[in-house]
Amino acid sequence: MRLLSRRAKEKLIIAVLIALSGAAVIPLFWIIGSIVWNGVSVMSIEFLTSLPAPFGSSGGGIGNAIIGTLIINLFASGLGIPLGILTGIYLAEYAYDSKMGSAVRTIVESLSGVPSIVIGLFAFTLIVLTFRHYTGVAATLALGIMMIPLVAKATEESMRVVSNDLREAGMALGIPKYNITTRIVLSMAKGGVISGSLLAFARISGETAPLLFTALFSFYWPTGIDQPIATLQVLIYNYAISGFADWVAKAWGASLLLVLLVMTINVAVRTFGRKKCGGA
Amino acid sequence: MATKLVTEKLSAWFGKKQVLKDVSIAFEEKQVTALVGPSGCGKSTFIRCLNRMHELNPGARVEGKVLLDGLDIYGMDPMDVRRKIGMVFQKPNPFPNMSISDNVVAGIRLSGEKRKADLDEIVERTLRSVGLYDEVKDDLRRSGASLSGGQQQRLCIARALAMEPEVILMDEPTSALDPASTSRIEELIRKLKSEITVIIITHNVGQAARVSDKTAFLYLGELIEYNETKEFFESPKSPITERYITGRFG
Amino acid sequence: MVGASSLIVVAFFMMIFAMLVVRSYPSIINDPLMAFGSTWDVNLGIYGGLPAILGTLASSAIAVAFAVPISLGMSIFFTEYAPKKVRAALSVTIDMLATIPSVIFGIWGLWVIAPFVKTYIQEPIIGSIGFIPLFSGPAYGLSLFLASLVLTFMIVPIISSLTISLLTSTPVELREAMISLGATRWEVVRHVALPFSKLGIFAAIILALGRGLGETMAVTMVIGNSFVWPFSSPSLFAPASTITSKIASELYEAVDVLHVSSLVGLGLILLVITLAVNLSARLIITRISRRNAAE
Repeated sequence: MRLLSRRAKEKLIIAVLIALSGAAVIPLFWIIGSIVWNGVSVMSIEFLTSLPAPFGSSGGGIGNAIIGTLIINLFASGLGIPLGILTGIYLAEYAYDSKMGSAVRTIVESLSGVPSIVIGLFAFTLIVLTFRHYTGVAATLALGIMMIPLVAKATEESMRVVSNDLREAGMALGIPKYNITTRIVLSMAKGGVISGSLLAFARISGETAPLLFTALFSFYWPTGIDQPIATLQVLIYNYAISGFADWVAKAWGASLLLVLLVMTINVAVRTFGRKKCGGA
Repeated sequence: MATKLVTEKLSAWFGKKQVLKDVSIAFEEKQVTALVGPSGCGKSTFIRCLNRMHELNPGARVEGKVLLDGLDIYGMDPMDVRRKIGMVFQKPNPFPNMSISDNVVAGIRLSGEKRKADLDEIVERTLRSVGLYDEVKDDLRRSGASLSGGQQQRLCIARALAMEPEVILMDEPTSALDPASTSRIEELIRKLKSEITVIIITHNVGQAARVSDKTAFLYLGELIEYNETKEFFESPKSPITERYITGRFG
Repeated sequence: MVGASSLIVVAFFMMIFAMLVVRSYPSIINDPLMAFGSTWDVNLGIYGGLPAILGTLASSAIAVAFAVPISLGMSIFFTEYAPKKVRAALSVTIDMLATIPSVIFGIWGLWVIAPFVKTYIQEPIIGSIGFIPLFSGPAYGLSLFLASLVLTFMIVPIISSLTISLLTSTPVELREAMISLGATRWEVVRHVALPFSKLGIFAAIILALGRGLGETMAVTMVIGNSFVWPFSSPSLFAPASTITSKIASELYEAVDVLHVSSLVGLGLILLVITLAVNLSARLIITRISRRNAAE
């Protein structure tokens, strides 16, 4: 093959590569474009603050879903973040070479591979079936469990990065291991742990499947975590598949809100989180 | 003897840092020229300018001319330059996912040479010329990385030679090898010069004296001295050269 | 205390298995093989999960088949040819695609892409090669094909980000050897970087497959939720179902104990499949890191 034709072949390949890359980029723009285009027209104060209107009439809003999402996320974080951090500390500090450690690590990683609907099924069978009652508690259990591997991994990684010199200095001073771990290493790994927790929070904001048969949905303000609660995700699902123009429009509005929430957290973590970790 | 490769006021930068300053050397055809000098003085950068690999580094810049048989290589297609000017690296780098014979013809295959009979012939001929054939002929399908360090380096030389280049650049080819392999490769270099122009970087002045016809001394990116090897070592003209040869630095 | 929390996490994991087994028990003792039957009819009390299982496998397999060329193409372009600004844009694209929630892909697929796919992709294809059963009509927008398509874009980020890391970690000396022989950038990729990264890319693909198998919302919203694919018509353009879409759409209304336990049983099957897939990816990755450490 003469040099010229190898060059030509390369040019052809570059064209193919660009086309393939475009195939990945175009859908992203399409999605964001659709959401903004369809969602912006529904936005209003009423939309954000009121309850859904009676079925069939227009107007009303998604206020309860917004609050519901925040409530469920907060409770889930209350479960997932502490357990995640502690497990992450265990994996980073105590589980280096032991068999027990690698077993735990395998299980934590396997947990992250469990489909969200299966975790929802677990919460459903454990709580909803047992108590014969759809409840937000089951939803927070499911979402909390989903947060654990994410937070644990972020914690473990950012603690690993903290240099061994610090650890050895602590030990040489006679500080017991537990104190070394929490005081010194964790404070330096703070940035990574916070980033990981925020990212996990954003991640579960988008999870819908586990909620479908735990927290269900509701057309009223949340009354208690033990009751069904409306959430943005489930609202989007229910309204989008309903086929009613007003509801579909509202689903787009809710989608816009959800995407804004998730994207903002992710962007914030990536820009500020990096600087923080870099400094540490 | 004609000149094969000439550099005219060759300068090179890494970003803002200038590492070569107006180096002008004429390399004789079918001779071995050694480049010596303390580490970090631009020798590697220099030869990477000769096969247009320096410019691949981000922020790298080259000025001046490099003429191969009178033609400026910076006006040619870089791939064409690298076909004509081959390179052997300090750390032997055979392709681990290819067999010994595939390694030898890796470069030729790119040019489309496909017939098995021709390729086999090239493999045997090139491996013989580097003295490796008898050692590996019983199983040419072994991975290139399964050989010893010295054998790997001879494989890399074979791979470069299979392209039938006009010049071969060697960047400290024996510094990672044991003394026995080193002397085998030095012997190979002496044999090669009857067919091809060799430019070799070495930090070992003894090696330069043993192997080369001419020697050039680069210090802090500048050419300090360039002479017939015998004269270079017996009566160096610059005091810096003398200090380097006698081992007072570098 | 840290040890205790790890034990709690391990306990959760075990409990997930345990609960699923316990709650699917009624359907298992009723007829252990029913889950693999080909008919799912709630009214008759028959819960054959084969259509759902096949739908799960088919949609993920097709999604992977689409996603691999796109991801590889983008990764190679990223590492070899893209100028700095384009690389930043591509990197942002991958990150953003990865964070978009599944239900958003669902609503977009349902209301924006379905009509598009129906008119501009399915109908022309049916028109031309519709005699092949796999591509036969009629053109349903909501179909296995659409679900696979949406899944593709959800798993592209996984394969791409891993492939980019792998390609960039190809040892410099091997690349230099290839370049010094006069290779074009593509030839360096093809003969050095890709063979070197082969194993890791394979692991990435398996991980992406695992993700696709467990994906729920987007698939549920666009797959059409039919009980019969592929037994009535094997066409890709027909509606189908997956394990996840079945559970998502039926569990809320299921009152019959057999119904509920059959759905839980399907969830158990899904759990086993995804765990097996993820574990094998992990094994490969461990082998790679061992190889790298040994060098």
